[in-house]
Amino acid sequence: MKPGIITAEELARLVTEWARAGAVYAPVRVRDWTEFRRISSLGEADFSRINTKLPVRSLLFPQCETMFRFKTDEPGRVEEPPEPEPQVILGVRPCDAAGIALLDKFFSGQGETDTYYQRRREKTMLIGLACNSPADTCFCTAVLGSPSGTRGLDLLLTDLGGRYLAEGDIAEVCRRFGIGSPSLAEAGDADLARKKELADKAAATITQQIDTGKLKQLLDAADNHPVWEELSLPCVNCAACTFVCPTCHCFDITDETRKGSGARIRVWDTCQSCIYSQHASGHNPRATPASRFRNRTMDKFRYTVDMIGEVSCVGCGRCGVECPAGIDIRETVETLFAALGTKQTKDAVQKAEGKTGKQQ
Amino acid sequence: MSREDQLRKRARDLLAAREVVMVIGYRAGRRPGTTVPAFITRPEDTDKLIFNDRCGANLTAYLPRIPKTAKVAIVAKGCDSRSIVALLKEKQVERSKLVILGVGCEGIKVDGQLSDSCTTCGYPNPVIFDEMVGETRDMTETSDVSDRVPDPLADLESLSPDERWHSLMEDVARCIRCYACRQVCPNCYCPTCFVDTNNPQWVGKTTAGSDNMLFHLMRAMHMAGRCVECGTCHRACPMGIDLMKFNRKVARIVRDRFGTVAGIDPDEPPALAAFDPNDRQEFIK
Repeated sequence: MKPGIITAEELARLVTEWARAGAVYAPVRVRDWTEFRRISSLGEADFSRINTKLPVRSLLFPQCETMFRFKTDEPGRVEEPPEPEPQVILGVRPCDAAGIALLDKFFSGQGETDTYYQRRREKTMLIGLACNSPADTCFCTAVLGSPSGTRGLDLLLTDLGGRYLAEGDIAEVCRRFGIGSPSLAEAGDADLARKKELADKAAATITQQIDTGKLKQLLDAADNHPVWEELSLPCVNCAACTFVCPTCHCFDITDETRKGSGARIRVWDTCQSCIYSQHASGHNPRATPASRFRNRTMDKFRYTVDMIGEVSCVGCGRCGVECPAGIDIRETVETLFAALGTKQTKDAVQKAEGKTGKQQ
Repeated sequence: MSREDQLRKRARDLLAAREVVMVIGYRAGRRPGTTVPAFITRPEDTDKLIFNDRCGANLTAYLPRIPKTAKVAIVAKGCDSRSIVALLKEKQVERSKLVILGVGCEGIKVDGQLSDSCTTCGYPNPVIFDEMVGETRDMTETSDVSDRVPDPLADLESLSPDERWHSLMEDVARCIRCYACRQVCPNCYCPTCFVDTNNPQWVGKTTAGSDNMLFHLMRAMHMAGRCVECGTCHRACPMGIDLMKFNRKVARIVRDRFGTVAGIDPDEPPALAAFDPNDRQEFIK
């Protein structure tokens, strides 16, 4: 489908129509940041910020979710939550959308399908907004993304100033909501050239580079490297980085029962917490802060490459912004390259492995 | 010599003379204007040390994690030093294993603004230290700063109990239970926090208002007589919850009822861990 042009007025009209037929979410100003909130008109949305406080995944995989309700005197009978309603999420940044593409792989790509994620996902349309001015914390291009990437999106809008270039299938979004699709004017050569100019300019502002292939190789041999201890010292092991991450998807399941009825609830969990890996026996295979810090970094750049064939950092930079200790994953990666990429450190690895015994 | 140069020199000398095995201070973060706690063990790395008004992390929080076998040096602002006193009282650190490098603090800035906790700070200078690095802060000026601030609890205290409850519920509704507040707090050194106890489960794991409130109220209760109002939890909160409201209220109650202020006198018994037959107990009817 050829890119079309949608004016701000037309987009506003569509948002109002979609909001009548289902749920529309968009970044909304909350205190001094933005969060995805349900809106009924485009005027409520605020696209001035690059990243929302929490990533878009929280609308598909909420922090707390009731899986089913039960009564203790009715064994075997459960009451499932109602079907989710169709939702369109507007103003999704390309990194966040890439995060959803990764969650699709984690939750339904292979083996078991996570029904709770999947049933929301099937009813969700993601409308992206290209980043014309990435933040100084952004590094999507270093992890194979782009400020104008379309991965995971149903539609990508690029703000050309009062009008948007729309790439993707807007008719499908409208069909899902049971409303007529607009007939968009086809984008002219000047619009396409302007879009390319904006996209190139945005991508050029991100200077961070990460050789993710090389990093994977280095991490494959770095299980017991002393650099983890050094890197983890400032880390306080809170969950801020994992909870604001567009691709972190660990959860815990708990039953809450009161007076004969209860609910099975799942909540976000975090590998940074000591009890995350605590066994019932009391043994904890990741008992030290360094091992937990290592796990998160390894997960993003090594484990998921083995699992789903790609790194699971999308370069949004939220973890660095929210870290109470000021740890920036870009610096972590740079330190890893410096520490793991030299001969001297290979000796250190062997020494450390000799001391602790190679794990895994 | 600038304060930073003095700090670096002292750190270098201490490490070179093997008087300490580590200097805990601050270094510049990857992003301009940010700082990261630094754990310097080699004299040649001491040039990384910095001190400025962005050094808001309370470094004392790292002390219980450091093995107590060797002596370490720590850079301490007024509030950090009060936290050291609090930990000394609770036998979590050994004075003889610490070299406290005191710094007078001009107040911590967040996005160019004075951090809320610092607007009512009465202790910009360390209350306990081995040596001062740079100038001590002029206390008269500090008092002026405090005087200019309207009572930060006036709004909260003017509310009826019901209104107060709703107001606090509104605050904690934003909590995502990342526990950044707990993790950056020097007082939160319990090997297993009450929220992490799951057999039995004391606090629900959801972000429902009641679960969030239970966490914050219980944490506030555990801070009574111990919290030094450093504000590091407030600055750490990714959701911008006004944790100073809890901290200040609890500190005020402790001051009013027990006549003590946390983190000043290492020899004074902890307010809530000592029994005095003369304690007011009119609430027991």
